[in-house]
Amino acid sequence: MINRSKYEVCGLNYVFVFSELHVRRGGGMIQNLVKLFFLTMLMVLSTAQASTFSNTLSKIDRSLATFNPLGKYVRKPVEKAIPRLKFRGFVRQWSDMLLEKNGTIGSVNQDYRFLQLQNLFELQTSYYVAPGIDVNAVSHIMYDGVYDWQNSDGLSADRSDRTNELYNTSERILREFYISYRKPSFDLKIGKQQVAWGKMDGQFIDIVNGMDRRESVQLESEDYEWRRLPTWMANATVYLGKTTVQMLYIIDFEHDRGAAPGSPWASPLSVASKNITVGTSRPNADTFRDHQYGLRIDRSAGALTYGFAYMYAWDKNPVERIVGTTLSGSETVLQVHNRHERLHHFGATADYATTLQNVPWVGNIPAVFRIEALYTNGVRFTDADKRTAALSGTITDGTVKRDTVRAAAAIELALPSRTTFIFQGSWYQTLNYKEGLGYGFGGGISDEWSFIPLIHAARPFAFSKDRLKLEVTAFPLINGSDTGWGGLKTKVRLRYKFSQFLNGEFRYTGYDTGGANDYYGQYNQYDNFGWELNYEF
Amino acid sequence: MNSKALRSVKAVIKNAIKISLSIALVAATHAQDLKSDWKTVDQMSAQDKALFDPNHATPRDASIPYIPAEKFPFKAPYTAEEMGYRSAQFSHISRWSHSISDVFGVVTSSGYVNQGEWACFVDFSQPGIEGYINSPVGQELGRWMLYETFPPESEGAQQLWIPIRSDKVEKKRLEFFYYSPSMRRVRRMPEPRRDQRFANNAQTLDDVMGRDPWEFKWELLGTDVLYETARFPATRSSITWNEPGKGFVERPVSSIKLMGDDFDHYTSDGGVETWVLKATTKEEWLPDYNEKYLIVWVEKHTFFILRREKYGHDGRLITIESRMSEKENPALGDLGYTSKMGTYWNIDHDLISYSFHDAHQPRVWSDEQKNMIFKAEFMPREWLFEPIPSQLRLDSPDEFFLRPHLYPDKFPNYRNTTLPPDVQSRYQQQETAKKLVFETE
Repeated sequence: MINRSKYEVCGLNYVFVFSELHVRRGGGMIQNLVKLFFLTMLMVLSTAQASTFSNTLSKIDRSLATFNPLGKYVRKPVEKAIPRLKFRGFVRQWSDMLLEKNGTIGSVNQDYRFLQLQNLFELQTSYYVAPGIDVNAVSHIMYDGVYDWQNSDGLSADRSDRTNELYNTSERILREFYISYRKPSFDLKIGKQQVAWGKMDGQFIDIVNGMDRRESVQLESEDYEWRRLPTWMANATVYLGKTTVQMLYIIDFEHDRGAAPGSPWASPLSVASKNITVGTSRPNADTFRDHQYGLRIDRSAGALTYGFAYMYAWDKNPVERIVGTTLSGSETVLQVHNRHERLHHFGATADYATTLQNVPWVGNIPAVFRIEALYTNGVRFTDADKRTAALSGTITDGTVKRDTVRAAAAIELALPSRTTFIFQGSWYQTLNYKEGLGYGFGGGISDEWSFIPLIHAARPFAFSKDRLKLEVTAFPLINGSDTGWGGLKTKVRLRYKFSQFLNGEFRYTGYDTGGANDYYGQYNQYDNFGWELNYEF
Repeated sequence: MNSKALRSVKAVIKNAIKISLSIALVAATHAQDLKSDWKTVDQMSAQDKALFDPNHATPRDASIPYIPAEKFPFKAPYTAEEMGYRSAQFSHISRWSHSISDVFGVVTSSGYVNQGEWACFVDFSQPGIEGYINSPVGQELGRWMLYETFPPESEGAQQLWIPIRSDKVEKKRLEFFYYSPSMRRVRRMPEPRRDQRFANNAQTLDDVMGRDPWEFKWELLGTDVLYETARFPATRSSITWNEPGKGFVERPVSSIKLMGDDFDHYTSDGGVETWVLKATTKEEWLPDYNEKYLIVWVEKHTFFILRREKYGHDGRLITIESRMSEKENPALGDLGYTSKMGTYWNIDHDLISYSFHDAHQPRVWSDEQKNMIFKAEFMPREWLFEPIPSQLRLDSPDEFFLRPHLYPDKFPNYRNTTLPPDVQSRYQQQETAKKLVFETE
């Protein structure tokens, strides 16, 4: 094992240290890929010392400046042939790779290296029908090579649900499809769509759509666009001077998808339940009373913008309710039925801009303050005490209802050298908490409350003509007295713009400290690095 | 003569022609750099001296003590300060309601190009520098809605800029909202720092929004005649711009004049007479500002800024801005000129930016349009309500604009035009080739 503190301090140098270790440890495709990658890096670095490096780079820059084959040979001709059609898209390859295989971790057999080898192709089209009327469609296809491209007994989620590997259903491929009708003071969109509420990093009042959380703790805010699960709805907005009123009528329901058992991010804490599940009830699009409703009102007043939201929705994660007991062998087990719960969400959001003056060392600092909060009424939690009582013959459904609050306050500063600094405190609280409650929407993470004081700093480097940008984010997790410190997630990203159409990223995500039962702590052996290549046309 | 000898002779003649042409080009460029049309205040003609009031201590306004008592646009003879105030009318974004397609880009010494194209809808409730001066501090001056159409990565992204009248106490100059289609969120953002280059660009926020003339101490250095500002490379003989009412019009680059076609004051040899001003930042107004002073060439009749050099506190040349104009709002007379095309050369990083304001159209926005377009709530609708097409983007790095002239001999007591050796070398190569020479060549 490498001393973790050493390679954290050494910054980029650690990459070479651990790569050497793994290259020595074994053969196979992954090792070869690692070898190839670092050989390339070495070649590039040694070339850097040679005087020809700038020439090579210049040649690459100049050839990439005009590299846009899909734009030139597909988009342009299509838009020329069908002038009413607007057409764009992207191809993205992003991969994450564990620093090392760790074998058995809790309930997981981590005998794989790649956490994702995802390839996403997306097309966005908009067809102009008549003034104010457009038909919009977003279709995409994703293939994740983690199941095929590495030998693993621990990865099997593709067999239970093919969409873990490939988007092969029309529901997945046709991501959005809606008709929009626009007048100066009115918008109406009818069809399959996603709606993003809120302005913060993370989800606070962003409650309208379900989410595919296959990356679990590694799902980032900027991935929500591709991970939200669009639903069929009517979405109307009225613009009244400084006030905007948005109304949602949602027919369809999409529940959250977590990291499935047998997928790379399956929780090591998952244990096979002895309980017998007798079914799952989902809200039904055909049933009027199952439909969901949302209302959002926003108002701007100079430097201050604020808004309120209400949604009568379903909990996107079902809760197990006890419907009886039965004998499994000689043991009494629970019969449970999964049901989604109706929730009332009340949200508020506000932001304010100012310039902080005469700050020591940096002078004036432009700043923005943001707050966002969501109060949810009627969240159902499983209750360990009641489940124990049920096994002893007490008649109970094994759940309790609680209200929850999740809120965040952030400050964003524009510092010198194009440096951005964000501090965001995120708070999750279960009101009237008692020990033994399971997971519930919006509440503390296995505790009465949880607090994540996120710190983010980003800056481009002038020596690269601002093409290289470094972003560092830390997510420490502090829980209430039951669980205390929950671990630390850190993310370091180096983004690079190759051209107007091509950009890439190299990143490291680490999970440190916290116990094996903690939210971040359970992933302590999931430190990984990854890369992303993105072409937009 | 055998064919081998013939080929040799041809090669010699060809090379001789090439060398001669190169020498001629270098000589012409050098001559352009050295052309001594500049004059100090003492050397100015009697006519120019009559237009200049050397007084530094003019009466102050009763209600706004930091501005001159004489009302804008002032009358001749002009003090250096009044010339500075007049030039402040001509910010990068014209100070009246209009729409344009802003086509811009940057090139590095390696040939990396990054371009953008925005449909810009600008509403000024307090137009002109006069509107700015007379607005109460803290009041918004108008609203700019910027819809990004290129590159594909940022297509559909939008920005709402709300410029604000600022002063020594109220420092905020801008309310700034950004809509990201990939995040589907409108975010209020901190305003960019005034003196800091935008990422991937040579321009600063003040280059775009304009500077407040009372934040500077103004001094007249003399006069000069300019013949070239923003320069096209030899690889680009014509451009196509979008003229409202006419559509796309192809123009040979040689026919494009510094102050446009409707300017009456070109010299007999096609030059433009300018005042040359020095604007030094006032520490009490701009503490810790990156730029210590600016040298500004303003056209003699309109005070339009044709060239601006920015110098740091260590005396180094930071940026040269060079502009070409067009009278796009004739109703405003001499105040109706715009920055049609400009280049910004950041010498520290040898970064060259260009900005082309295509399809300029003065606008009178209806109340319905004002209530619809110029709001943060409009951005998530992703509604480009009026596309403004342009064909001004470059197809390749070879078509990029040249670095501006250095004019090392003009006003040498005030200007330090020393370049870092590698930049100097690229500048010289460019002057010979008449196009940018990248690191491969």
